[in-house]
Amino acid sequence: MLLMKGISKTYPSGAVALRNVDIHIKPGEFVFVVGPSGAGKSTFIKMLFKEVVPTTGQLFVDGVNVMSLKPEEIPFLRRQLGIIFQDYRLLNDRTVYDNIAFAMQVIETPYRQIKRRVAAVLDLVGLRSRAGDYPGELSGGEQQRVAIARAIVNDPLLVIADEPTGNLDPETSMDIMKIFSQINDSGTTIVMATHDKTIVDIMEKRVIAIEDGYIVRDDAKGVYGYEPEH
Amino acid sequence: MSLSTKEYFVKETFKSIRRNQLMSFASVSTVALSLLVLGLFLLMVMNANNLAKYLESQVQISVYMEDSASNDNLAAAAKSLKAMPGVVKVTSVNKAEALAKFKKRLGDQNRLLDALGEENPFPYSFDVQVDKPERIAEIVPKIDEMKGVETAKFGQEVVEHMFRLTRLLRLGGIVLVVLLAMATLFIISNTIRITVFARRREVSIMKYVGATNWFIRWPFLLEGMFLGFAGALVASLVLIQMYVALQDKIYSTLAFFPLIPAWPFLGYLSLFLIVTGTAIGAAGSSIPLRKFLDV
Repeated sequence: MLLMKGISKTYPSGAVALRNVDIHIKPGEFVFVVGPSGAGKSTFIKMLFKEVVPTTGQLFVDGVNVMSLKPEEIPFLRRQLGIIFQDYRLLNDRTVYDNIAFAMQVIETPYRQIKRRVAAVLDLVGLRSRAGDYPGELSGGEQQRVAIARAIVNDPLLVIADEPTGNLDPETSMDIMKIFSQINDSGTTIVMATHDKTIVDIMEKRVIAIEDGYIVRDDAKGVYGYEPEH
Repeated sequence: MSLSTKEYFVKETFKSIRRNQLMSFASVSTVALSLLVLGLFLLMVMNANNLAKYLESQVQISVYMEDSASNDNLAAAAKSLKAMPGVVKVTSVNKAEALAKFKKRLGDQNRLLDALGEENPFPYSFDVQVDKPERIAEIVPKIDEMKGVETAKFGQEVVEHMFRLTRLLRLGGIVLVVLLAMATLFIISNTIRITVFARRREVSIMKYVGATNWFIRWPFLLEGMFLGFAGALVASLVLIQMYVALQDKIYSTLAFFPLIPAWPFLGYLSLFLIVTGTAIGAAGSSIPLRKFLDV
């Protein structure tokens, strides 16, 4: 699903974010990416949807050579991915339904198909009754669930989550992780950068630790391995 | 592009214009004002050209006969005109023909002539064409002396003045129009910049879920084009009103002034302004989009 060979990234400022990273993630895996702030997690995540381009190395997502993608081909890579952020990134002037439908509209899905599919993902994240509400009327956990629904509505092969529980309390975080587990159980690969010790330790999934741009750990059933920062 | 996508574009476009009312209004006004000035210049230049051409066709000498001239006088005059050195063609225009010609030039205003009743004020005349314009100056005094001739007229000097004026108008017009087009481009691109900025969150989400750049661009492009189109429409309507009013005024006072008839002239002019306005709108919105789409 995901193959990195000798990936390095040096920013124009001279800052080195990743050094000679080799990673192979198989379809259906659930992978946590951990490490101290500024270790290169964000760069790692952003490369997967080509917001950041590696300086050297090779990167394949579902067999596609991401490095050689032309700018006009990037949207089609991103349609295979579901991206989730810490700050939800919902459109506050649209209802829950419209926020999710938006992701299908912009890739020109027929109207009838949108209606059916949005209803299904709303069920999955348990927000069917909130379809007509606006993001401002929802709690943080509910907003993140809308964001997850939006990310999976187009049936991505790979879900990429950057600190999805960073703004949530432990209990809500666990609810969110249950949804991720469900998505993973249906065969979708998940790569999640996180600072959340509790969830990493409870989930017992593959853990990749990045420090100072190097992969320092890659355990099949890993633990967080750092003192909680907050 | 599917129907629901087109619907989406149009909905987004108008939503954005509504949300951005003040800037949209400012843009439409600026486009309207700029294109109005452009249109006014075009009207002036084209009419000046028309006038110059009309006057040039008058470089022939018009010989107006006295009403008292008899048929014999007319025949004799025609004969001696033809005999003059340098004269290539002599066409006689009788009173009825002169009236009909004038009526035709008045176009839809020809009811003005109803006031004349049965009377025909036009004299019998000859149109005399010479081989070289320089000859006119020597021939005209001779014609004036002929029996039965009221007056002989020609318009060479006026024509030269007109052409000079037209050139000047055209040059000034081009400079002004270029400046105004730039101002319009600037205003529209600023409006779209504000729109894009207000919707940058939406744009970034669109990029993350895999919308193509063209999909993201369309609503903004349509917005710019609509602003340009609306401005051009306003300008055209104002121009049409002005020109028709001017035409009425001129025909009631300066009936001999060869103004270009309103239709279909104004139709072509409006079409030109609307195409120009829409194009400026499209160009104006692509400028900020190039920068913002680079996510």
